[in-house]
Amino acid sequence: MKILIKFFAIVLFLGLISCKKDTKSPEPAEEPLPVVVPTATTGSVKLVFTHMVDTLPLIFNQNFINAKGDTFLVNKLRYYISNIVITKNDNSIYVEPNSYHLIDHDFPATRTLNIVNLPFTSYKSISFMLGVDSTKSTAGAGTGDLSQANGMYWMWSSGYIMFKLEGYSPKSGSPTKFLEFHIGGYSGINKVQRNFDINISNTPAIVSSSVTPIINLSVNINEIFKTPNLIDFSTQFSIASTGSNAKMIADNYADMITLKSVQN
Amino acid sequence: MKKIAVIFFYFGVFVFTSCKVDPKIIEPLPTDNLVEVIPEGWPNPVYSFSVNTISEDKFVLGRALFYDPILSVDSTVSCGSCHQQFSAFAHADHNFSHGIYDRLGTRNAPGLFNLNWLPLFMHDGGINHIEVQPLGPITNTLEMGADINPVIAKLQASSKYKNLFKKAFGTDVVNSQNMLRAMAQFMGLIYSYNSKYDLFKRHENNVQLSDAELRGYNLFLTNCNSCHKEPLFSDFAFRNNGISVNIYLKDTGRAHITGLPQDRYKFKTPSLRNIAKTAPYMHDGRFNTLQECLDHYANVKPNLINLDPLLQNNGLPLSAQDKQDIIAFLYTLTDYKFLADRRFADPN
Repeated sequence: MKILIKFFAIVLFLGLISCKKDTKSPEPAEEPLPVVVPTATTGSVKLVFTHMVDTLPLIFNQNFINAKGDTFLVNKLRYYISNIVITKNDNSIYVEPNSYHLIDHDFPATRTLNIVNLPFTSYKSISFMLGVDSTKSTAGAGTGDLSQANGMYWMWSSGYIMFKLEGYSPKSGSPTKFLEFHIGGYSGINKVQRNFDINISNTPAIVSSSVTPIINLSVNINEIFKTPNLIDFSTQFSIASTGSNAKMIADNYADMITLKSVQN
Repeated sequence: MKKIAVIFFYFGVFVFTSCKVDPKIIEPLPTDNLVEVIPEGWPNPVYSFSVNTISEDKFVLGRALFYDPILSVDSTVSCGSCHQQFSAFAHADHNFSHGIYDRLGTRNAPGLFNLNWLPLFMHDGGINHIEVQPLGPITNTLEMGADINPVIAKLQASSKYKNLFKKAFGTDVVNSQNMLRAMAQFMGLIYSYNSKYDLFKRHENNVQLSDAELRGYNLFLTNCNSCHKEPLFSDFAFRNNGISVNIYLKDTGRAHITGLPQDRYKFKTPSLRNIAKTAPYMHDGRFNTLQECLDHYANVKPNLINLDPLLQNNGLPLSAQDKQDIIAFLYTLTDYKFLADRRFADPN
């Protein structure tokens, strides 16, 4: 019992001196009022798509060699990236709203996507779709990147052209040696959207007020002609409708986008 | 005698000058009662104006665009050129319509009404939404032959359209979405639900069908209604109804879109509403009369590729009298109110 009383006394004493300490601290009122700056709690990530032909950067109207060993050049490259989802280290996700982007090699600015409103934290993966989902493909008149006036829409058989590559090859079976790959089809067994999951957990993107991480992605055009379907331009030089040929190209481009680096 | 001649001369002058009446100022067309309609007993429409709220200004813009040849490459052909109101917006007396430079199309222009209920557009179902439907004929080289961007540029350069777009959408910057939504608004508000048949079904104005019409209605229910389903008079499915393949066109129909062998020679079931006004018939306009259509259905060759199972047994068992009665019934599907509705007329 005595011990208990002693204990209470000590606790009370400690409590009292700790209170004294508080009163010693400077009065906030004596200091000038701090200016309250609303601090941002979200930042952004840049997603940079670099067009490559294997190890070489893609340059329009310049000759490259495809997997079959044939010379070709590219003079048009456009595709849709949509449904971007970025995953935090704690596995929660940020879904970009209205996430539809038309990337056009002719306009370098379109090759960088800014993902905004990202809470400050670390991100370990990013996923997106190459193409336009069936919901937006059946939603009528679009606007901006989804406008029907971007040359990426079939008027006679509704649907977006998800991926468009044009060029020339001396091997092309067309009389003008033209190459034309207009790949579309939003539903059914021959749909051509392909999903990409980019794991960046080795170098997580750390979004903060001072850092906008850059995720560099490589888009290897030669993958379109390589695996699993080796493309021979003498017979496959023009695909411009939905169906099994379009699916064949889609299966090829399913692995064409890979991680190059993350810069924080 | 001279005097009489002079009198006649002056009288003549008077008569001729009196003919020179000042051009009448054209009254603007009505835009009253622009509301979504779902007639009693009809299914919910596919398109409900939810993202394209109805407004008088959008309707007026859509109507102006529908009737304006500015949408074609050389500003000669409008939607209304081949979709005439008096023919229920089909092309009267044309199996194929002529587009720019007198180019002939390859399919018959269908009537346009109750379009909000269509899940897919065109005879082959290639177009999946009412808003993007106009892009088909605008860009088809046999029809209006234009590209969408030059059309937008022409509209942008027109003070008339800048004004109409400003009124309809609050901005005079023309874009494809606003253009297409205005057109969808006009097209979607073209309803037809006031035929004699409709009044009879709704017990309005004590309208009765004649004996022949009633017999025809009962025959219709037995023989036709499984595909030309009430109340829209179509199931909007794709079927081969047994007409032979046109050896010159070799039109594969639905397979043109899907690429599937089982879709070859199938075409969308058309609505039979206003059918008396939309001749000629079939996707290639091969039949001029309803009699020819019924003669075909009463004698379908079996074993055609992908022939509809409902027509396998040599078609429909119809006597000459049956056909007459069915035709009498089909005439009750004409909606004269819709055909004469000034809201849908050419404003120019």
